[in-house]
Amino acid sequence: MLYNFNDIKNLKDQLEFVDTAVIPFVSADLDEQALTHANDIELVQLVTIQLEKQFKGRIFITPAMTTVLSDTEVLKQYQKQLYDYGFKNVVILTHLNLDDEFNSIRLNQIPLQDMSSDIKFDLVNDEVKKVMKSIISIWNS
Amino acid sequence: MSQKVTRRQFLNYSLMGVGSFMAAGMILPMGRMALDPLFQDDSEGSMITTSVTVDEITEEPMQVDFTFEQEDAWYTSEVTDFAWVYRDGNEIIAFSPVCKHLGCTVTWAADDNNPERFFCPCHNGLYEKNGENVPGTPPTGPLDQFEVGESDGFLTIGQVFPNELV
Ligand code: FES
Repeated sequence: MLYNFNDIKNLKDQLEFVDTAVIPFVSADLDEQALTHANDIELVQLVTIQLEKQFKGRIFITPAMTTVLSDTEVLKQYQKQLYDYGFKNVVILTHLNLDDEFNSIRLNQIPLQDMSSDIKFDLVNDEVKKVMKSIISIWNS
Repeated sequence: MSQKVTRRQFLNYSLMGVGSFMAAGMILPMGRMALDPLFQDDSEGSMITTSVTVDEITEEPMQVDFTFEQEDAWYTSEVTDFAWVYRDGNEIIAFSPVCKHLGCTVTWAADDNNPERFFCPCHNGLYEKNGENVPGTPPTGPLDQFEVGESDGFLTIGQVFPNELV
């Protein structure tokens, strides 16, 4: 499910099945790391699209949350809001190194700009599989 | 409700191909499919030629990717989907991998306890090989089918329609 009108309309009734919220969390600092951040944001988008397709019926993907200076205040509040709403799991999909108070899945940094589409496709798919495994193991724990 | 996937199922599941891939054209055009000279799709309703030959298809369901352009009000994107395809006598059967419960992607033989069935990892949905949903699991109807055809020996995929085998 996604954060859009139609999916949210029925979300409350489906919490029994859609029990896991996923928050993509990215940095948008315009500093010396900006090029890296740009790449990371692209990867997060690609992984998210694919994840939605695989696990549509059990995860709710929020709009990507953007931060600067690695501030996690808003993320903390949002996480709480999602738990209060009724989600059993709230998972953060990110390149940042977050504290243990967050259930985060850390993505690899892949220099997408240097790659041919073929290799890109394979690497992104590998990353998606990794994330799927992590989510399934969260479901199992 | 049990949503446990055993460790073995989990490993098994993780081996499946992550087949379908969608990306807005502006983000990442997928070269592999787009460059395939056999790939032709003109308008909605036309058959899409895949890169799999009809001879390759066996009785064991396999994943066949196909790519098409999807246009919505604002932009066009290239979408890669896939079908589960197998041979039944002279017939070729193709199923949509979209679970009829809440839309996750199903996989053939991903659950060790059900080696001859389609499995949905989200809430342990099961389907028989002919697409029939297994009673007692969440899905309420059988898997949809795709129209199939052949073009110069290659499998073609068309529109989705409700399961006619069950
Ligand atoms: S989405 Fe497939 S069993 Fe629920």
